[in-house]
Amino acid sequence: MVKYLADTQGLAPAEAEPYRYLIEQDLNQVESFDPELAVMCGRCHSSARFALQRRTEAEWEHLVHFHLGQYPSIEYSLYGRDRDWLHLALTQSVPELAQRFPLESESWAQWQAADKPELEGRWVLSGHMAGKGYLYAIMTVVADKKDYYSLSLAGRYANGESVSGTGKAVVYTGYDWRAQLQLDGVAMRQVLAADSSGNRLTGRMFQKEQELIGMRITALRDVGVSQLNSVFPSHIRRGRSQTLLLTGTQLSGEIQLPAGLALEEIVSRDKNHVAIRVHAAKDATTGAAELRVGPAILSGALVVHERLDALSVEPAYGIARVGDNGGATPKVQAVFRAVGMDFGPDNVAGTKDDIRLGYIDDASWTVAPWDAAAERDEDVKFTGKMDPGTGVFSPADAGPNPLRKRSTNNAGNLKVIASYRDGEQDVTGQAHLIVTVQRWNSPPLK
Amino acid sequence: MKHLKALNKKAQQLAEAADNGNTDEVVAMQTVVGCAATTDPGWEVDMFGSVAGLCQPMEADLYGCSDPCWWPAQVPDTMNTYPDWSKEANSAGSDWRNLDAVYPADEE
Repeated sequence: MVKYLADTQGLAPAEAEPYRYLIEQDLNQVESFDPELAVMCGRCHSSARFALQRRTEAEWEHLVHFHLGQYPSIEYSLYGRDRDWLHLALTQSVPELAQRFPLESESWAQWQAADKPELEGRWVLSGHMAGKGYLYAIMTVVADKKDYYSLSLAGRYANGESVSGTGKAVVYTGYDWRAQLQLDGVAMRQVLAADSSGNRLTGRMFQKEQELIGMRITALRDVGVSQLNSVFPSHIRRGRSQTLLLTGTQLSGEIQLPAGLALEEIVSRDKNHVAIRVHAAKDATTGAAELRVGPAILSGALVVHERLDALSVEPAYGIARVGDNGGATPKVQAVFRAVGMDFGPDNVAGTKDDIRLGYIDDASWTVAPWDAAAERDEDVKFTGKMDPGTGVFSPADAGPNPLRKRSTNNAGNLKVIASYRDGEQDVTGQAHLIVTVQRWNSPPLK
Repeated sequence: MKHLKALNKKAQQLAEAADNGNTDEVVAMQTVVGCAATTDPGWEVDMFGSVAGLCQPMEADLYGCSDPCWWPAQVPDTMNTYPDWSKEANSAGSDWRNLDAVYPADEE
């Protein structure tokens, strides 16, 4: 039933694309949305939740009336009681929703008429898992019947840990891939979208039980063409040597590096990967470097840099939730990653010449009180534990805690600090972590 | 010109903080995907992007949320949608473990 509705009344790839973070459960980010619709329609749930729907104007109007009847507090909770909510909803929000998210659209008409790709084959997959580093894997996909696939995945993280497992996938609306896998005993999900060629899948793979613990992935199908997918790590420093892992399909032929980068050694290679030792000259041009293996080109994925000036912690603002302790809701972990920054020739943060280096895997992690209230209430002691090696924060138990003032929950307001020893200096970065209470109402699209 | 006079200790602290410029900046609608941005006082975060202004412990006021349909996207509302949600938990403070999450896990 769901598949039938998705196939016949779903969203075209272009319609879903701006809001896929919600489907992918990539939730620790602040939405950027038109403020009027956000305050009228997106203050209890995400704005993506309505932006992923398509209705006629009459159906959008029905939805307003449904909300008012079912959830009457919409008129008298904050941002409802300060305005004539129903009048504004009917006269302003409904026409805007109908215009921006109409039932019939050119892109949906085009997508319905388009050939939908079959996704069977051998895929080269790459991603990055906090605490384990970059993932390079081969995913083999076999069609069971139209739009239903069996898959197997085998690969290795940068820390040397291998990963393997099998699963099943269903493709909705001709491009929207949903897979359930068991990877080394851990239940995982893939939420991916195929591009129009059907030869590239992008999206997220994450733990079923901890949706924030996962990675963005890119997969390229082997269609007999030489293509590059990724390079790990994504940065090399002037004057240093570095082993780079390039992945792709049908990789053969000469390895060509830009001026300033010298090939020292080919460590290993086959048609899906090339591991090379590369030296960057002291005067190599900083910024994006183009890599070539035979006819395959990878632009913008590797940067040459001079310094490591700071760490940018991503996400800048995240949420974890207390849970378990005999209750119905599990704990929700949060994960942080350190991204290296070189402030560029001007040595000033936040200017155009800044170079984003990509992930720095060997950062160490701590938490600290965000403010004086968090220090006074001992939030660091009560709210959970930060894994110093992975950046994964595991929150404490749900329920009132008699050891805290007023038996309050193990909620708190924390500063997440990443630190990396770079030669003689410590490079740091920080983010904001709210440890908060559980949701009792936790739909798949929040 | 002041129209309100602080009468108790907490109100005096608030008035002092305002006088000394120690109030936090309100960060309206700035919360992560899917969290309530209706910060009166807030489910996940308060209007300062913190948790210090929330009802805590949450269980002390949970039925003050579920009964009047406050945070219906985070807390099952017993007004309309889940009238029996709290039937097995007369006191949220001591019986919160009996409260179910209203979306079951998906099938394997």
